[in-house]
Amino acid sequence: MSMRKYQRLQMHRIPYTDLTEAQMSEALRPTASGPVSRSALSNVLAGRQLRIVTDGGPVLEYRFRNARELELAENGGRPIRAGYGALEDRSLVLVSHMIPGTQRGYKLIVDQHTGLATVFEVYFSGYAPQEIAAAREAGREPQFRNGRRNREAQRRIWFGYVDRGGPAPTARHTYTNRLEGKGIYWKQDDDIEILEFYLSIIYSNFIELTRFGGELTVCAPSDYIMVNDHQFIYSRIECEFSGIFTLQVIDLFDMTERGVRLGLNEKDELEYSMYTGRGEITGQIATFEVFGNNGETRGPRRVYRPLETFEVMTDEQVRDAVLNKAHAFGDGKGSGAQGMGGYKSELVTHFAGRKLTVRMDDGGPVIEYEFVDARKLRWRYEGDSHWREAWYEMYEPDDRLYFFAHLLDAEFPRSCAMVAFDMKNGLATLVKGTTGSPFRNNETTVKYYFGVLEMEGAPTPPTYLRHGWTDEMVGECVTWNYQPGNPGLTSMHFYATPSAYSWIIFQPDGSGGMQWSSPGWYAKLRDGVYLMSWIEEACNGTLGVICFNQRTMHDAGFGYHVGSRGLSLSVIGARARHAGRFEIRKYLGLKV
Amino acid sequence: MSGMRARSTRREFFAKGGAILGAGVASAVGVSSAVAAGTRSGEEELMRLRRELDHAKEREAIRGVHLAFAAQIESRSYDALAELFDEGAMVNLSGVSATGKAGIRRLFAEQYREQTAAVLHCAYRPNARQSEDAVTIADDCTQATAILHVDVQLGVPLQDDCTAAQMARLQGQLADCRWESGRLEARYVKSAGEWKIASLIYPAG
Repeated sequence: MSMRKYQRLQMHRIPYTDLTEAQMSEALRPTASGPVSRSALSNVLAGRQLRIVTDGGPVLEYRFRNARELELAENGGRPIRAGYGALEDRSLVLVSHMIPGTQRGYKLIVDQHTGLATVFEVYFSGYAPQEIAAAREAGREPQFRNGRRNREAQRRIWFGYVDRGGPAPTARHTYTNRLEGKGIYWKQDDDIEILEFYLSIIYSNFIELTRFGGELTVCAPSDYIMVNDHQFIYSRIECEFSGIFTLQVIDLFDMTERGVRLGLNEKDELEYSMYTGRGEITGQIATFEVFGNNGETRGPRRVYRPLETFEVMTDEQVRDAVLNKAHAFGDGKGSGAQGMGGYKSELVTHFAGRKLTVRMDDGGPVIEYEFVDARKLRWRYEGDSHWREAWYEMYEPDDRLYFFAHLLDAEFPRSCAMVAFDMKNGLATLVKGTTGSPFRNNETTVKYYFGVLEMEGAPTPPTYLRHGWTDEMVGECVTWNYQPGNPGLTSMHFYATPSAYSWIIFQPDGSGGMQWSSPGWYAKLRDGVYLMSWIEEACNGTLGVICFNQRTMHDAGFGYHVGSRGLSLSVIGARARHAGRFEIRKYLGLKV
Repeated sequence: MSGMRARSTRREFFAKGGAILGAGVASAVGVSSAVAAGTRSGEEELMRLRRELDHAKEREAIRGVHLAFAAQIESRSYDALAELFDEGAMVNLSGVSATGKAGIRRLFAEQYREQTAAVLHCAYRPNARQSEDAVTIADDCTQATAILHVDVQLGVPLQDDCTAAQMARLQGQLADCRWESGRLEARYVKSAGEWKIASLIYPAG
């Protein structure tokens, strides 16, 4: 059991201040003197001059006056003075400084051996101009639904070299997929512990063990650059959250890192520090590019912005949707094979004409069913004389283990019931999804109830044994192909903690692309058969529940969503491949 | 293009470089010059040669229009695509059609960019039947037609609106992607000194 410190709000729920440019300038003022660091900063550059030439970017002429102060002339301009910090990893030097009086600065990674350099120009208050330009090009209005994001760091990356007076080298550091699929646990010199997962070539996800207690994983647009076979540059920006920028030089030979963190935290406090850390590999999962694709020409790094695109609805709009525009499984015509149901299994119809009671423990729901036909059922709460009709669909994800779902009463907020019942042992689990959360009207919430079933011919259920919560899936990565076709609709799930998961969307070349994460819940029904659910909080609010059979590598599940087009209950059916597993249990306080 | 007096050529038109076209034209000009030498006056011969060269120039200009079309399709530069079409043009690519430049602009801006079309043309490549390509230019050099044999990369958009599909679409991901052999049937008009596409049809397979 983890005894870590938890936060009242997770990152996706924190109402980060929409700071003005003037507020940002003020907040960044202390950066002029350079970063702080617990580890000793390097003096390797003191007294030296470097002229860095970049491809298509700036020419930076540095004079390092001492170990903490430099002079910089950009593109032959007037030199400015700034505080800086530097850390060494073998022949690499990581330098970080800002330009006093501005909201921008540089992070340099200079290889003293090869003379190659990578330059990150990092700046703030840059989101709005980009959005305005993008909107103009697309012929739409700029969107600032979630603010102007001045606090969000932006970066430009240039590859180049140190001009030593001779011919310019032809080699460069390059973008890469050589970190893709790797997970690392880091313990930094400032006692921060973090689990990082490089599951994409443009995104990463991480579990903040120290800062947030390790309950959830979150995702951030990221850059991966290869210096050589064992040294890499990794950076991320916590877009949609605090906007903090992180850059690390990772050395896979001795599993160390040198990093810099720059930005404002959730309390709008400046964090500008350099750090070192020691790491442990937690796993290496499969990657899905063709051999020979090394990710060097990865294309632009896109940013997924669910907080911006989330369709926010009023109480009245949601009320109208759930009462007047509610549809389950095509209203009896079948849910079709669109979307996430392209590989749904055969519909179970043989319960038509039979009765079932599911009895949940501890005052949970007790529901009586009559299956009228293959798609229509009647239900009522025990003791209630009033039968309601509802459309349902039922599947058999494992031998004589059934999973069906239907809408509950037409009321606001509105709920659905998803019921897994085991005809081998009499156990049942009811997952109740309900519209509305304390944060948004058109999100959903979920509640699990464990109990038993009663049916003619069913086994007598155990007295004490129940389906129950599990952490057995923690660390697993599974691809899900939802539709036939090349490539069809395919994602990868990473079951990151007992209460969270992340999904990764593949790019057309098979590399990992954008990803996002949400809370998740895991129950065990049988050995190798799990009932996993997630809610796409602050994303689109959908509740997804799948019964995942690890022997058949298939699932049966349901999606519950409310949006402007109404309330829907639909089927999920997909085919899985095992992508690998991260051994992260010990870092999460779980029994190993 | 009925009633149009025209000269037709068959040669690898669509994706080969101008050098090949130039050689073909030069060769044709050479042969016809030898045949005609004893029967025509020098002035007539000069005019005919000039016409041949003019046609070669027009053919190259039309080829440029098509290369631009193919490049913009592949790079998804949908905003620029409509500018290649004449005001009254029509387009029908595997059954996805529009009429008029404004309609064509909408088709690419909405159905292609938003991936709401039933099927998208994503890229073109010359194929083995390229030698059967035919380009016909009217004598007055204001109209032309072309049959261009190509392999087309057909993309079927993801139709669903779940989060995974939305994210996949943002990355240019499609539900299905395959190559098909077929032909583009094109008609061009020259307007204000510039060749524009008057109609472009890729019959649905």
